[in-house]
Amino acid sequence: MFTMKIWGDRGSMPTPGPDTVEFGGNTSCLEVRCDDRLIIVDAGSGVRQLGDKLMREDIKRGSISADIFITHTHWDHIMGFPMFTPIYVPGTKLRIRGPISYEDDSLETVIGSQLSYRYWPVRQEELSAKIEYEQIKETTLDLGDGIYVTTKYLNHPILCLGYRIEYKGKSFVTVYDNEPFSNVFPTDPADPNYDEDAALEGEEAAREENEKLLRFCQGADLLVHDTQYTAKEFVSGKVGWGHSSYEYGINVAHKARVKRLVLFHHDPNRTDAELQELELFYQGKIRGKTSLEVEMAREGRTFTL
Amino acid sequence: MPSLPTTVGKVLEVCNNPKTSPIDLDRVIQLDPVLMGRVLKLINSAYYGLGTQVTSLVRAIIMLGVNTVKNLALSSAVLDRVSSKKDFRALNMEGFWRHSLCVGVTAKLLARRRGIDAKMVEEYFAAGLLHDIGKIPLNNALADDYVRTMSTADREGLALFAAERRALGIDHCEAGRIVAESWRLTGAIADTIAWHHDLGGYSGEHGDILRTVAVANFFANREGIGFSGNLYPEKPSPEVYSLLGIEKGILEELVGPVNAEIEKAKVFLKLGA
Repeated sequence: MFTMKIWGDRGSMPTPGPDTVEFGGNTSCLEVRCDDRLIIVDAGSGVRQLGDKLMREDIKRGSISADIFITHTHWDHIMGFPMFTPIYVPGTKLRIRGPISYEDDSLETVIGSQLSYRYWPVRQEELSAKIEYEQIKETTLDLGDGIYVTTKYLNHPILCLGYRIEYKGKSFVTVYDNEPFSNVFPTDPADPNYDEDAALEGEEAAREENEKLLRFCQGADLLVHDTQYTAKEFVSGKVGWGHSSYEYGINVAHKARVKRLVLFHHDPNRTDAELQELELFYQGKIRGKTSLEVEMAREGRTFTL
Repeated sequence: MPSLPTTVGKVLEVCNNPKTSPIDLDRVIQLDPVLMGRVLKLINSAYYGLGTQVTSLVRAIIMLGVNTVKNLALSSAVLDRVSSKKDFRALNMEGFWRHSLCVGVTAKLLARRRGIDAKMVEEYFAAGLLHDIGKIPLNNALADDYVRTMSTADREGLALFAAERRALGIDHCEAGRIVAESWRLTGAIADTIAWHHDLGGYSGEHGDILRTVAVANFFANREGIGFSGNLYPEKPSPEVYSLLGIEKGILEELVGPVNAEIEKAKVFLKLGA
């Protein structure tokens, strides 16, 4: 059994209320099951309810043990951690991995400092769970039991990792938060900042990075891709914010021959009605042109690979 | 290892500005050999785990993002804020900076004139900019001895590296090799730092960049653009020019463009004349 369940799919900030009932208002959290092994991608606000479910169901079969992969440490991807109940339960074992940072602070400090008196009534030192932190880079990890996790740096204002989890010949890939790599150097010779070498090198580097990302997604059975904006919104002031458009995500999935694509990291201002409309619009646009299946991420939805 | 005081102010200004353009970031780092070396180290070190060695800042900025590179530069520059002009007792820091930049720019212009692949040209620049990096620890750690070494070289008409070997038991190429190793720099940049005064002894695969930097180094010393302590530079042999496929005369044509590039850098850094 290889499954993925969405516990949070909202970008930037939790958005409770009547307009976010169908698609959900919690920030990023994915539960991946490889038979008995539990992998969690991101600890956004959605991880609270996942923790509660683990305490209701999994605890009956023994202590909780999980590998948690953090895509990056922006707040919406770690904010649920203090409310993840298993951290207060003796016997819980967590292995938390995430990208290194250019700052001197470790992953443990960045995530764990949310548990300090100024923010929260319990300190990290008082947690009952056994938690190991590991800072990772572009690599492939063997998690044992035939589970492999490959990582790839994405394009976001902070170092951010995409994860490719492979198990029993199937693959699940996350590409969020990510903006297409682009040449940030001026290419117009009339621009006062134009530098021919930088312009050429920039073009080449952006092309190569985008190709690497395509290879990273190649043939995935399930891809969760950042699609915070429409293409029109993206070019109207969102370039450089570190997110992708629906159009870009769908193109990547199609080119990489992905089987199923989940459109993820919904903009906090997007209502259920708008997301329904956009889902129908993009499904209609690709109908008959590709074998790719596309849907909007919905909190609570489970996929079997 | 201090960042050069000549550039550190500009690094702080550019990196603390939230609206800094990638091109300004690229420029300001390229103008400081120490910062350039450290940023390349951080980018290439196992820390970042990127598959291939990155020798171009442009590429680093695109792969890792403006913010990451900006913060890398800022943390290096802030760490080094304590350094001051006093750290450059034997070598004049502005002269050293100008010499390093001149060799980098000359190597790049020579590569361009010879039709070297545009993707490789930045490596010629980086190798030239960093070639004398070994002088910084000698100058800082052994300041008094280094003053004496330079005057010995002057009095006896010796090339500086030869005087260093005699007086200190180590020359700036060997010191540079150790710096490059600690910065985890490999390939052409590391080889140029270690071998630029021993072209004949070099048998590695980066001979073209090494020879280009040696010619650029001679040019910088001959023209007196900047000063890195070497009053008696060795002339590259005719074989070096023929291997590069250039005539000595090409150097005359470079005086104008090289000075123009250095002027641009000075304006950017807001340095006085």
